[in-house]
Amino acid sequence: MTDTFSPVLKLADLPPGSKKVVKLDGKPVLLCNYKDRIFAVSNICSHQYKLLHGGRVRHGKITCPVHGARFDLATGEALDLPATEPIETYDVRVEGDDIEVSL
Amino acid sequence: MNDVDAPIKLDDVLKRGGARCPGAPTTQEIIADDTVPAPAWVRSESYEFLGDEDISTDRYTDPAFAKREFDTLWTKTWQFACREEHIPEVGDYHVYDLGRYSFIITRVGEDDIRAYYNACLHRGTKLRASGTEGSACEFKCSFHGWTWNLDGTHKSSTCDWDFPHVDSEKFSLPQARVATLGGFVFINMDPEAPSLEDYLGPEALSHIKAWKLENRYITLHVSKRLPANWKLTMEAFMEAYHVIDTHPQVAPSNGDANSQYDFYGDHVDRFISTLGVVSPHLYGEISEQDIVDQFTLGDSSAMGDTKIKLEDGEKARGAVAKIFRNMFEQAANADLSHVSDSELLDCFSYTVFPNTFLFPGISLPMVYRFRPDPTDHRKSLYEVFFLRPVPREGERPEPAEPIHLGDDQSFTEAEGMDPGFGQILDQDTDNLRLQQEGIEASAKKSITLGNYQEIRVRHFENAVDKYVAG
Ligand code: FES
Ligand SMILES: [Fe+2]
Repeated sequence: MTDTFSPVLKLADLPPGSKKVVKLDGKPVLLCNYKDRIFAVSNICSHQYKLLHGGRVRHGKITCPVHGARFDLATGEALDLPATEPIETYDVRVEGDDIEVSL
Repeated sequence: MNDVDAPIKLDDVLKRGGARCPGAPTTQEIIADDTVPAPAWVRSESYEFLGDEDISTDRYTDPAFAKREFDTLWTKTWQFACREEHIPEVGDYHVYDLGRYSFIITRVGEDDIRAYYNACLHRGTKLRASGTEGSACEFKCSFHGWTWNLDGTHKSSTCDWDFPHVDSEKFSLPQARVATLGGFVFINMDPEAPSLEDYLGPEALSHIKAWKLENRYITLHVSKRLPANWKLTMEAFMEAYHVIDTHPQVAPSNGDANSQYDFYGDHVDRFISTLGVVSPHLYGEISEQDIVDQFTLGDSSAMGDTKIKLEDGEKARGAVAKIFRNMFEQAANADLSHVSDSELLDCFSYTVFPNTFLFPGISLPMVYRFRPDPTDHRKSLYEVFFLRPVPREGERPEPAEPIHLGDDQSFTEAEGMDPGFGQILDQDTDNLRLQQEGIEASAKKSITLGNYQEIRVRHFENAVDKYVAG
């Protein structure tokens, strides 16, 4: 398998408890540093395509700030109405100082 | 039938409700012997005889009664909607549902919590799905996008040129009343209802304030639908009378038949059930060493393999209190030397009408909430929360997420549940199914209550009657 990971952000720019949106191949990717783990998911809510990044993260899940749909950051699964479809999740790793994502 | 014409003698009136478990020390006597003395809220009694008539069972079986409750009782009483820790930051919200009613509990300012009726003022869509929480800087409806500010004022309507008849000023989200106490957020739909303080009354209020439950957080939250009417379900937890038969494993270390029962005003009642003492049903069969060996309630599993060997003449209650004190001091990184044996050990069960139980003890730190199933009066939604002290260092932990058990799952299957405690809840649940069905099958259309040990059931149903009768 070829290495498809690309560096997207310095680890230092994503302190614990924070979120940041980056673009990779034109896709908005939401990075969350939550409880010693980094998650990478699509920043687009599957419900009405609103942006997720203003949402609250608790217990490894993010709530869309616009209509309240909730998604598992690890699996992308939709947990609450009004969403029924998952969001995309991406493989993520830390290489040295860099956070790298594979779409 | 009773002889209705027989004159009631004053003596009998004085005696009724006056009897207590013969040959057993009272709860107050047990507690008075403890090494570290109990606070005032423990060391008082507040019982009165409230009658010994049967209570008719249509209240548990008649859907029309459930409907009246939804229209009267639930709309006029203070209910625990969420904990403040569910909504720590401005913009955080938590949806509380009760039957068809639904509220968005939102923190609008640091000390300003509101409860909005959870429905769009355009064509009614819920602004947030039931059972959800999150944070928002505004509430936007998912149907046509009408939007309200966090403070409930109307912000915008899509294509507002089509709604010249909508006066934005008059389109604020309607609110229920909100009050906070001990870290709990209470709501009341009735603008005329007494304040939460007056509703609880001064005595009960002073107890609740003494517990400082605001300094605890939810470490475990389990919910399950139970197979009985919500009132029947609550009543299963109001007395220790059932312990000897339903929970025989608990009786060797529980003063069940000599538990104490009290009530305060219309809306609060309690029992104190001592632990580390043997049930009066088992006097002569169980030694002090047996009590320690068979201790099963509260944090029994946390005692791990600790084997206590009592010294000659040493009492089980004192020995278990000592162990609990050490254990909880370590767990909470706190000095508990002044916390009474009773608070460490005993089961304090308070009901705040209509649907909340508070257990302020240290080894049994639960909150129960009961709600009617929205569509089936023969079922209820039960939740248990365990509230433990917030650690002294570091950030306040997030409250645990609810674990929703399926109807046929055991409470022991919930991750984090003490197995002994889960077993007790399963035993209670099994009875409830039989009780709901039995009440429906019965030729006798009423229940009969003990004067003392079942006073909380009567006190509770009196309050139900007060609201349902209007
Ligand atoms: S129903 Fe809410 S905007 Fe139409
Ligand atoms: Fe029980």
